[in-house]
Amino acid sequence: MYAPETYASRNIALCTKDCLCLFVCPTGATDTENGQVDATKCISGCRLCVDACPSGALSLMYRSYPEPQPKTDAVVEKLMALAKSKTELEAAATSLTESAESAELRTLAKAIAMSARISAEDLYRESRYMIPQSSEARELLRFMLDEERSDGEFPQEAVRELLDSL
Amino acid sequence: MDAMKELSRRELSALCSNLAKACEKQQLFEQQKRFVELADYHAGKADGADGADLKTIEAVVKGDLDSGFGPAFDQAHADHDRGALRALTWSQKATALLDSLLKRYERQGDALIEGTNVYVCEICGFVFVGDNPPDVCPICKVPKSKIVKVRG
Repeated sequence: MYAPETYASRNIALCTKDCLCLFVCPTGATDTENGQVDATKCISGCRLCVDACPSGALSLMYRSYPEPQPKTDAVVEKLMALAKSKTELEAAATSLTESAESAELRTLAKAIAMSARISAEDLYRESRYMIPQSSEARELLRFMLDEERSDGEFPQEAVRELLDSL
Repeated sequence: MDAMKELSRRELSALCSNLAKACEKQQLFEQQKRFVELADYHAGKADGADGADLKTIEAVVKGDLDSGFGPAFDQAHADHDRGALRALTWSQKATALLDSLLKRYERQGDALIEGTNVYVCEICGFVFVGDNPPDVCPICKVPKSKIVKVRG
């Protein structure tokens, strides 16, 4: 059976302080001064606090993730073409935020730029870039590291840290 | 890797900002910052779309609606790829909405937005003009808390 390591996490915005998580936790991991569950004390797969919480503030986080569902090259190509178009829409709208003569048009242009970026990101999500741990995401990081190696401004350390920690 | 060479700076930026969001959802906040750093780096290197106006924007929107979504939907249906169909459904609806908003702006000009606000759904890109955004996003059905006001 597929059973990745887990730990509990609290969404503080949902927590109504019913304290059931404090009552049921066998290790004290849920009782902390910063409102977050102490993941180092949390028992993988336990989920007693998650099931006890009446406000749905606790959920399980995973320490590893499966590879995203396979995609055909044909669908990825079409999704990425649309995403590219969305990045061009974002660029055009961003340019208009700078040249717009009224505050109203500037606001509209800004909304279009935001919407376009969100659409592009979502289309990439379904183009094999669902999670940073996927083999495509790792390949993208290695590609950037290679491509930008002569650019002093490129945040190489950021990429190395990502490749090491994901 | 060869296909990656074709990616523009803007595409690289959006790929990285998407992965930043995935890190945030996994509560990998350090990794989120790193991907944001990369997204900003690529955005900073991108060529500006100088001289773009409403006509440029309308043309991109129309192009997607007329010839972008159709073939993508066909392929996603052929593959039984419901994830792709989900993203295409949201994006097509958000794009059609932009199209109608642009047409309304053409007719009414600044009066469309004067004295009111513009909101964007952070999840699907739904755009709303008015004072009270809906309780639930009409496109992706997230609650109102994910529909944010655009600051002018």
